[in-house]
Amino acid sequence: MKGSIASAAALAAFPQGKVHGANEKVIMGVMGLGGRGTYLAEKFAQRPDVEIAYLCDPNTRRFARAREAVEEAQGKRTKLVQDFRKILDDRNVDVLVNATPDHWHGLGTIMACQAGKDVYVEKPLSHNIWEGRKMVEAARKYKRVVQVGMQSRSAAYSKKAKQYIESGKLGDIYIVRVFNMMSHPMQKDTPNQPVPEGFDYEMWCGPAPKLPYNPSRRWLNQWEYSCGPIPGDAIHQLDLARYLLDDIPYPKTVFHAGGVNALRDGRETPDTQLATFEYGRLTLLLEAALWTPYMKKTPVDVRDSDRFPNWPFSSTKIEILGTKGFMHFSRHGGGWQAFDAQGELTHSEYGRQGDKEHQDNFIDCIRTRKKPISDVEIGHQSVLLCHMANISYRVGNQKLEFDPKTESFTNCEQANKYLKRTYRKPWVVPDNV
Amino acid sequence: MYEQGKKVPHQLSIGSRLIGAGLHRVLFSVGIVVVCCHCSYSKWLKISNITVRQEPTELGGPKTIIEYDIEDPNISPATPAYVFVRYSKDETNWQLIETDCLRGNGFDIVDKPGHKKIIWWGTDQTSFTDLIQIDVRVRGIQMVRIPAGRFIMKSLPGGGYDESKKINPSSNLPLFYMAKYETTIAVYIDYLNEIGGEGAGWNQRMTDSNRCGIVRHINYTYSAEPGRENYPITYVSWYDATNFLQWCGLRLPTEAEWEKALRGGLYLDGDETKKLPNPMPERRYPWGNQAPNADGVFRCNYDGTDDGFDYTAPVGSFANFSSPYGICDLAGNVAEWTLDWYSTSYHAGLDGFRMVRGGSWMAVPAACDAITGATQLPLKESSIMGFRGAKGPREITLTY
Repeated sequence: MKGSIASAAALAAFPQGKVHGANEKVIMGVMGLGGRGTYLAEKFAQRPDVEIAYLCDPNTRRFARAREAVEEAQGKRTKLVQDFRKILDDRNVDVLVNATPDHWHGLGTIMACQAGKDVYVEKPLSHNIWEGRKMVEAARKYKRVVQVGMQSRSAAYSKKAKQYIESGKLGDIYIVRVFNMMSHPMQKDTPNQPVPEGFDYEMWCGPAPKLPYNPSRRWLNQWEYSCGPIPGDAIHQLDLARYLLDDIPYPKTVFHAGGVNALRDGRETPDTQLATFEYGRLTLLLEAALWTPYMKKTPVDVRDSDRFPNWPFSSTKIEILGTKGFMHFSRHGGGWQAFDAQGELTHSEYGRQGDKEHQDNFIDCIRTRKKPISDVEIGHQSVLLCHMANISYRVGNQKLEFDPKTESFTNCEQANKYLKRTYRKPWVVPDNV
Repeated sequence: MYEQGKKVPHQLSIGSRLIGAGLHRVLFSVGIVVVCCHCSYSKWLKISNITVRQEPTELGGPKTIIEYDIEDPNISPATPAYVFVRYSKDETNWQLIETDCLRGNGFDIVDKPGHKKIIWWGTDQTSFTDLIQIDVRVRGIQMVRIPAGRFIMKSLPGGGYDESKKINPSSNLPLFYMAKYETTIAVYIDYLNEIGGEGAGWNQRMTDSNRCGIVRHINYTYSAEPGRENYPITYVSWYDATNFLQWCGLRLPTEAEWEKALRGGLYLDGDETKKLPNPMPERRYPWGNQAPNADGVFRCNYDGTDDGFDYTAPVGSFANFSSPYGICDLAGNVAEWTLDWYSTSYHAGLDGFRMVRGGSWMAVPAACDAITGATQLPLKESSIMGFRGAKGPREITLTY
C-alpha cells in the first residue's frame, strides 16, 4: 500500500458522524464490488432515502457492473475509487458498506468507525476472534451503528419461529442441529501470474500477506484471507439458531471433527466440518460439508413462496429438538414447520426473506442511533462459533474449553495462538482502537 | 418496421396464386415478405427476388420451393451468411422452419452470394391445401467462420473465470460461426414485432434514448428512435437474448468460443491446414496488445467520451480494430451474454449466474480485453450488456 493508513487515523481523533434528519438522504460508499457488494449497492441505491456516492474496489474491472446498476437505480453518477480511504476522508459520507473478503472486514470497519462512519459489514463479521472484539470496541467507542449482513434475522417468519419456541410448544430445547451442506469444485493448480492491469493487488491483500498472485487459488480456501467457505455460509444458520434461542451467549466448549477429506486440492480450510458446541444442557451441532451435491439450498421457486423445501435434502436448514416437539426451519425465506410428540404437524409458516427489512432497520438506526438487529456484538458472538470450530480443527480436532471473560481457551495454549492474526503493515488493527 | 396488420413499404410483399402442375386445382396462395435493409449491417443482410412455388412429388404431397437472391459481396466461406426461414399461416403466429425440413443451398450457412434455392418438404408443414395464404420470411445475418483448432484460453477468475472449468493454455474447439456484429436494435425490433404481444422481450428501460432507443406504440408494435437502428440492443436479459437467438435458430456463444473469436486460434485457418499462424495467439485485445487508447488512437468504445461515444456506439464503429477473424466490437461497446453458467455451490438453488464477457462503454480500458468477464443473474437487464449469436455444434466440448 502506498503511504500509510494515517489519513483515516487522523480522523479518529475527531469522528465526524452527523445527525440525520428524517428527510435527509443517507450518503454511502460501498467497499468491495463482487457479487454481494454490487447487490447491496444496487439495493441501497434503489431506496429514496439513500445515495451511493462512492463505489470502491481495488480491481477496476469490477467498476462497470456496479456503476451501471447504481446509476440506473439512483439516476445519479457515483465516484469510482480503488482506495476506500477516499470514502472515509469525505465528510459528506455517512456510511461505509463493507462487502470485502473476510480479511478486510475488521480493519475496514474499524477505520470507518474511527472516521465517524456508520457501517454495514458483510458476514462473517471478523477474520479472527480478537479482531471481532476490536470491532465491537470501535463501534462503541465512536458511537457508531454497525449492522452485520445477517439479514435472515430481519425476516418476519424468523421472529414468528422465535415466538413459537418461546411459547414452550416444543418443550425444553436440548439439541439444535445446523446444516450447511454444499457442493464445491476442486481448486485448480495453476502457475502464479502477473497481476492484471488495473488491479491494486497490494490493497486487495491489505492486512493479509501479499502472496504471489494466483487467480486459481480461491481466497475462501485460505486461512490468511478467510474463515473458510463453510463458515462463510453457515454463519447465517448459526446466527439464526442463536436468534431463535434468544441469542444464547458463549458456549462452554467446542469439539470439531472433520478436515480436508474430499477436496484435497491444496486448500487449507476444511471441506468437512462437524462441530459440537456445549452450552450447559443445550448442545448445538454444526453439520457441514462441501461435497454433497444432493443437498440443495432452498430453490428459487420456493424462496418467498407458499411452499417449503424438500426437508431431507435441504442444505441450509436448522432442526430444533425439544422435549415436546420438533421444528424444521429453512433459511432463504423457506419457512418453518413444527411437529408434536406424535410427529403430527402443528404449525406451518411460509417464509419471506428479510433483506429489505434488514436494510430498513439499518437506516432507521442511523437516524435513531439505536442498536441494529444484527449489531456488531451479535455478529461477534455468532461468528465466534465459526472461529472456535476452526481453531479446534487447527489444533488437531481437540475439545477446547472457552472462557467468555477473556474470550480465550483455557485448556490449550496452542489454540490461543489462533485468536489473532499477524497483520501486515501498515494494515494493522491496533490494540487500542 | 412492421405495423400491426400491414407490411411496411420497403419490404417486398408478393402474393401469388399458384396452380400445382398436374393437380389442376388451386393449392394455395403465397404471401412473401422479404426483410431487407439499405444500410450495411444495422438489419438483416439484403435478400431480394424471393419467389415461392409448389411442385408435386411423385409419391407424396407437394414440395415447396423458395428461391431468392443474396448479393452481398462480403459473403464468402470466411464470412458467410446465416439464413433462416420463418413462416406463418395466419400472419400472427410465426414459426422457424427447422433445417431438418430443408434442402438446397440457401439456408443455414450460406457461403457464396448469388441465386439460392431452398426446398421445403417432407413434413406436414408443407400441407397448406386447406389454407388460403401463408407468409414466408427469409432473413440473413452476417457471420464469421472460426475454423476448428487449438487456441489459448486465459480467462481469469478476477475477470469472471468459472472455477468449475479446467484451464489450460492450449484448448481446442470445433468449427463454429459467430455473428460479426452485436445484435442491433433494428434487428431486435423486427423480432419484437414478429413475436407480437404486449412485450415478451421488451421492458420499459429500452425507451432510454441514450442507452437503447426503442419506441413502443399503443398497438404493441415497436420502432427505433430515429438514428438508433444500428446501435446494439441493450437491457436484454439472458432469457431475452436466448429467446431471440432461438427464434433465429442460433444460440449464445460459450465463454471459450467468445475468447477464441477475440484472440484467434493458433492458426487462423484452423488446425487442419495450418497455413496461417496467428502472430499473436495470446493477444490481450482483438487488435493486439496495444491499450485501447494507446498513442491517442481509440480502438473501442470504453468509459468516457474520448473515443467519441458517451454511451453505446453503432455496431462496427471500430471495424478497423476487429478480431483476427474480422469480428467487430468484442472489446467494449456492450458486454456480451454467454451461454455459460457460473457454477459454485454458493449459488446453488438460485437461478444460477451467467457469464458476461468483454468490457463495455462504461468499463475502464483494461477491462475491454480477452479475459474480462462478470457474473450476472439471468434476469438482469442492463444498459451495458447485449449479445451476439453463434452457430456451432449443439454440444460443445472444450478439449485440452
